Amino acid sequence: MKPARVRARSIFGQLTTASILIAVIAVGVLFAVTTITVQRQTRSSLSATVSTDLAGLIDIYATAGREELLRRVADRQDVVSLEGRRSHYMIADGAGRLLAGDVKHWPELNAARSEEGFVTLGDGTQVYAQGAKLAPNLQLLVAREYDRDRSALAVLSAAFLAVGAAIVGAVAFVAWITARHLARRMDAVNAALGAAADGRAASFPARQRGGDEIDEVAGHGARLLARQAQLLKAYKQVSEHVAHEVRTPLMHLDNRLGTAMQARPEGAGGPIGQSREDIRTILSMLDSLLDIASAESRRGDLAGLAEIDMSALVTSLADLYEGSAEDAGLTFETSIAKNVTMLGERMQITRLLSNLLDNAIKYVPEGGRVRLILRAGPQVTVEDDGPGILRDQRDRIFERFARATAPGDRPGHGLGLALSRAIAERHGLVLRLGDAPRGAQFILEPAP
Amino acid sequence: MMGNLNILYVEDDPRAAQAVQDLVLADGDRLAWEQTGTGGLQRAGAEQFDVIILDRMLPDIDGLTIVSRLRAAGVGTPVLMLSALGRSENRIEGLEAGVDDYLAKPYEPQELVARLRALHRRAAGAVHGAVIIYGAFECHVKARTAFRSGKHIALSPKEFALFRYFMENAGETVTREMLLRDVWNMNFDPQTNVVDVNIGRLRRKLEDGFAAPALETIWGAGYRLTRGE
Repeated sequence: MKPARVRARSIFGQLTTASILIAVIAVGVLFAVTTITVQRQTRSSLSATVSTDLAGLIDIYATAGREELLRRVADRQDVVSLEGRRSHYMIADGAGRLLAGDVKHWPELNAARSEEGFVTLGDGTQVYAQGAKLAPNLQLLVAREYDRDRSALAVLSAAFLAVGAAIVGAVAFVAWITARHLARRMDAVNAALGAAADGRAASFPARQRGGDEIDEVAGHGARLLARQAQLLKAYKQVSEHVAHEVRTPLMHLDNRLGTAMQARPEGAGGPIGQSREDIRTILSMLDSLLDIASAESRRGDLAGLAEIDMSALVTSLADLYEGSAEDAGLTFETSIAKNVTMLGERMQITRLLSNLLDNAIKYVPEGGRVRLILRAGPQVTVEDDGPGILRDQRDRIFERFARATAPGDRPGHGLGLALSRAIAERHGLVLRLGDAPRGAQFILEPAP
Repeated sequence: MMGNLNILYVEDDPRAAQAVQDLVLADGDRLAWEQTGTGGLQRAGAEQFDVIILDRMLPDIDGLTIVSRLRAAGVGTPVLMLSALGRSENRIEGLEAGVDDYLAKPYEPQELVARLRALHRRAAGAVHGAVIIYGAFECHVKARTAFRSGKHIALSPKEFALFRYFMENAGETVTREMLLRDVWNMNFDPQTNVVDVNIGRLRRKLEDGFAAPALETIWGAGYRLTRGE
């Protein structure tokens, strides 16, 4: 099993990334809202303080006159409010020249319109100020410093960022641990399903406490596997019993015929000998049908496969069939690549290739040519220049009991190519007809 | 060849057992019959046999299990599985379980006898010298040359391998399956005449210029090398 990890494309990896992003966005939005609210509150508080002070001084001017105003401003200059905000004042003439107060230059505020706002004074002090025109040649400025408000906001921001980072970190950590744990469990389920699909021994992970969705998937997988094993076992039992129950009486019959033959010897082709041949034909057909079913049921199943030296196997077959081809008056050519191997059942692959060679030698008339070619891949080609396969029969020659009715037809029970194709598919290969212009060309190669 | 093999046969079908018994007794062998897997297992562990014939589908213990247990217990007696399950898949299962040979029912009596003899010979591990002589035939193993009555017979490499196999099993019946397995290194019998064709070619060369046959066909079983005299 591969080690558990959070893959880039894994749903658990995506969930982890999404959790972190959501946490970052949530903390950011909360931080922005809080900062803006605090800033608005500060401005509102400063505006109220400055406006109240300004209104008081305007009242003094209205009731007690200019001299009293100048005196009061001088008194208030050193006052520090309860919030810790230092006050600054300026009484200026119509041109903005200082008459009284500690602010030397009139800031960018229109006194006639009673403008207010954050400004920087000539000495660099940052204040919130408001101006007012008291008379055509007299204007008043009231300002408050707000550095303590800014410090408070900075402390709040720092605290907020620290807590936010901690929250994001915690979310990331929990999400990663959870994703890793889930990924590990899913990997175990995946590995078990993969092994089952390949026909290897598979075991699903034990149920966790609680039993969540992954447990359910694992449970269903285990049940599916058990059911598959049960079906395969039942199929095997049935096929074995059928074979046993059919073969046993036929064996007794064959024994009796054998005894009869000894008692009454007959020449070749005699009725008893023919009967015994018929028994063998029936059994061979039964075995072929069961073999096809077995190969089809194990399609893609890698269990029981071992490395086969295809170069050696094809060489042995060429060696074995060379004599038969020569006796049939055929030219037998081979082209066998070296060091070609594949994963398979040696006996079944031998059977498949024997069948193709048997067919070629059986159907090609005297004087013809049969070629056996092995290339890397592995790709095995058995081709001849015989009568070939009729175009309308190309699709059905691999079906059960579908014997070619081509010129040069020979007897047989029509299961050889169906079995050959089933064996090929059981090994992840395809057996197909090539497009050779003459004769038949069978190609065995890996499935695309 | 008359044999004196001591054979254990584990088979639940009395008729099948009787047929084998008649066959091997006629050849001078001794046969002990056990009708159950348990009985066969006990007997195979307690007594010394030359060959064990084992049915596969027994009522109590599966034949494959029996052979696995025998091998695990260190019993190395050659086992021939004689079964109604004769598909290649069944043969592979049998060979993987530890049987030495596998014959499907129905079988030719002569083939069963030939295989029992061959199993016993293999177990006895007969060692051949550099020159094997049988009747009029000589096989010079290292020089890879063949002679009949002193006359050199030109053989192709594969024909020589076949001839040498017959010489190593001189006087015994050699089955097609044995030839496929030991000469062509193939564990599958295509059930066609490919082996016969190769034997035919060897036979023609061995008999060319001689009146007496070199190889005789044993119907239903295989071939046997004659003394060629």
